[in-house]
Amino acid sequence: MGSNAMTIELQVPSTAGYERVAMDAAASVARLVGFRQSRIEDLKTAVAEACINAMEHAHKFNEAMKVVVALTVQDSTLRIDVVDQGSGMQNNPTDPDVSRKFSGEQAARGWGMFLIKALMDEVEFNVRSELGNVTRMIIRLEPPGK
Amino acid sequence: MKTDEVKRNGVATRVAGDVAILDILGDLTAQTREEVEAAYQHATESGAKKLLLTFTKDAYINSGGIAIIINVAIAGRKHGQKIRIVEPSEHFQKIFAMVGLKQYVEIYASESEALLGF
Repeated sequence: MGSNAMTIELQVPSTAGYERVAMDAAASVARLVGFRQSRIEDLKTAVAEACINAMEHAHKFNEAMKVVVALTVQDSTLRIDVVDQGSGMQNNPTDPDVSRKFSGEQAARGWGMFLIKALMDEVEFNVRSELGNVTRMIIRLEPPGK
Repeated sequence: MKTDEVKRNGVATRVAGDVAILDILGDLTAQTREEVEAAYQHATESGAKKLLLTFTKDAYINSGGIAIIINVAIAGRKHGQKIRIVEPSEHFQKIFAMVGLKQYVEIYASESEALLGF
């Protein structure tokens, strides 16, 4: 992002429940930027799911391993980088299908990435950075009256 | 209605006749799975054929919580139980629609509406 971008960064332990800290921080930033409440709710769910994926799959809930959440605001865009110390996904998981879950062909779990993709404007998984493996999400402020 | 009320961590269960109401008191996540499963078990053993799951307006439901609802709905189908959900927030009504849960579980705005014709 450009020179007028502003970044807020926090770290949370890989302990279930601490994704709430990242959710609340992201919601606070989005509120300051002027996102409407329904988009803030979308953001909270996406941030929570990205953090849970990092805690569970990358860090195996090792609380000593921190999940870094960087919230970057520029103009009408909020970028959220959720960084873990894992090696990223080796294979793309199968898309969840509720009918297959009810028939027992798929486990009931596995909605996290689906929700992130459905709720954010742009998503990239497995972005490599010097900090680690990044899930990058972008949400844009809608023009007034939309 | 006269109820057999049992409170569990995170879930309060009200059973009256063949109706059981599981009040999810706060968040529904993978961490509350055991409480919900225990409440469901209690309701089923009490003879419930109709289950209402209620939520508070500020409840946080994550993907683990969605999985819990799916597992309760699957178990309910096996036991011949009807399941309805009451009062999730607008956001979680949207999420339930996105994941396709509304094909399998009816969602109502209030407990009284959900109990009508149940």
